[in-house]
Amino acid sequence: MKRVFDWLQSRTGFRGARHALLDEPIPPGTGWFFTLGSVLLALLGVQLLTGAFLTLYYAPTPDHAYDSIRFIISTVAGRLVRGLHHYGASFLVVVVVLHMVRVVAFGSYKPPREATWLSGLLLFGLILAFSLTGYLLPWDQRAYWATVVTINISRLTPVGGDLVAGLLQGGASIGALTLTRWYALHVIFLPAALVGLVVLHLVLMRRHGISGPVRPRPGDPAPFYPWQAARDTAVIAAVLVALAAFAWDGAPPLEGPADPSDSSYIPRPEWYFLGLFQLLKYFPGRWEVVGAIVLPGLVAGLLVLLPWLDRSPSREPRRRPLVIGGFTLGLGAVVALTALGWRDRPQATASPQVWTLREIGGRMLAQSAGCARCHSAEGIADPLEASSSRGPEWLTGHVEDPEMIAPGLREPPSAPGEREVAAIVAYVRRLSRQSYPGFAAQTEAAATVYARYCVGCHVIDGEGGTDGPDLSRIGAKHDVKYLERLIADPEAVNPDAEMPSFDSRLTDSELNAIAAFLASRK
Amino acid sequence: MHRRRALVLFVNSVVALIGGGLSVILGAFALRPSKAPEGRWVRAGLLTDLTPNVPVARVLAVSRQDGWYRERARETVFLVWDGKRTVHALSATCTHLGCQVRWDAKGSKFRCPCHGGVFDAQGNVVEGPPPRPLDRVEARLDAAGVVVAVRL
Repeated sequence: MKRVFDWLQSRTGFRGARHALLDEPIPPGTGWFFTLGSVLLALLGVQLLTGAFLTLYYAPTPDHAYDSIRFIISTVAGRLVRGLHHYGASFLVVVVVLHMVRVVAFGSYKPPREATWLSGLLLFGLILAFSLTGYLLPWDQRAYWATVVTINISRLTPVGGDLVAGLLQGGASIGALTLTRWYALHVIFLPAALVGLVVLHLVLMRRHGISGPVRPRPGDPAPFYPWQAARDTAVIAAVLVALAAFAWDGAPPLEGPADPSDSSYIPRPEWYFLGLFQLLKYFPGRWEVVGAIVLPGLVAGLLVLLPWLDRSPSREPRRRPLVIGGFTLGLGAVVALTALGWRDRPQATASPQVWTLREIGGRMLAQSAGCARCHSAEGIADPLEASSSRGPEWLTGHVEDPEMIAPGLREPPSAPGEREVAAIVAYVRRLSRQSYPGFAAQTEAAATVYARYCVGCHVIDGEGGTDGPDLSRIGAKHDVKYLERLIADPEAVNPDAEMPSFDSRLTDSELNAIAAFLASRK
Repeated sequence: MHRRRALVLFVNSVVALIGGGLSVILGAFALRPSKAPEGRWVRAGLLTDLTPNVPVARVLAVSRQDGWYRERARETVFLVWDGKRTVHALSATCTHLGCQVRWDAKGSKFRCPCHGGVFDAQGNVVEGPPPRPLDRVEARLDAAGVVVAVRL
């Protein structure tokens, strides 16, 4: 073995490289606070690796991006890799901020390390750019709407805002060209810049040596490996175990496929942009540019100029009250804004895991409309579960007139009504995310009635028309008997009722099912 | 020096553990087991359109799940009716190197355009390099004995 290494040494001189990489002299008293840079390096390594492997399956087109992510997370290993990559981004942001806090607290940005500080700031910006571009790639609702907001904010740039937005957007609207563009940024341009900047940052760090404790301690410097390396390794291991726990425990969210026509969706950024998001709320109208561009720009400018604003040679925190105070204040403001943004987040009206009544009704209607004649394992068309990537317009067109889009059908099913089409489309779209869990027969019967008639005028669980009253809690006011009479003949119960009579349109069992279902809503 | 050796051991083993763990996860991710698609019965034609012992080519559309992609593949299958109650289906893919064979009605042979492979109406090799007969595709007649369905 030794001879192999000796031969390798004579041909490559690898021991010299190892010496240069690992035997860096570390000043005495350099402690645990100085492990954060190595933690960042490890986290970046994890991001680079998991990201590279994710590209094995990911397809950057609007038609396939969402399906390819669903495919990725259909195995345990895939969920883990995506989880590591997703939560790794959050870990990076947290550790970057901690690293920066350490550098400011220890005054490590002072001469001769100004260039190291600047390259670090650029790296911070790059990491945020990574998050921003990576966010779009799953092409789900969150991704799409967060990107809409981002691009519209970029439009506020004082000079050339439209140019910047056009550059980010690629095409006339947010779509295929945006996706490929952000994908290219995320996997080619940004990583290339990142690797270059990390190397620069490390070279600069080595050139000036680690800044070490604020007050130099007596003693000889020790080599990095294994003394400081052991601290680094311990912290890295702890952080990676935490990251793995996140990836294992909570699968990153994947919402429904991006739907530009959905007006009910409430966009929300990733948590580390919530502060900025919140800031925008305080600057309405033409002052928006202050929150979107001026204030963040001012903060960035102050950070860039920090080594020149703080010219005292002392690194002692107590001798730099202005810098430490100002930085603490700024950081506190960011934390407070983030917390406010977190608290302000809109509560989802219905949990996305819960099937809405209309979707359940859609299933019943799809069954009675005969969709399964073609859409089945043995049929001429794909099973309904497989139509996930079809947009709502396509689905609506197809359900309204199956033959128009799939010509050659011998017996096209009879065309369902407008509300029935909407319910079937809602059902198929839900089915692309989640298999049908099954509901009580009475719920299914009530859902069919609701999806066919009631939904036109009545809201249940945040869905439906608003001409009539919300029925989500109607059971608290009326019992089954009353509701049955009301639905059958509203004017008999209330002479002023505008609701039409359903006596002739519903069978007795349908009438009973919907009344019983509504009475159970308390 | 004891302390140094303990630390070296600690650093090296933790780094190896992290590297090993990541390799296992990423390896499992890259070596994702692929399931062979389950066959599906497809209507291939009517018995009344067939002549005994004369192969008839049918182009069948079949959709297959290829990872996240729903592929619509077209495949040529030859239906051979024995004149009674049995229909065979032969894949048109030559068993030599995968070219598509054609039915030569004059010579009553399948001919491969690539390397001179020749098969008889039952798919057996008559001439040339193919190593085995044309692949059989599962075929059945429906209950009424009219519709031919093949499993692709």
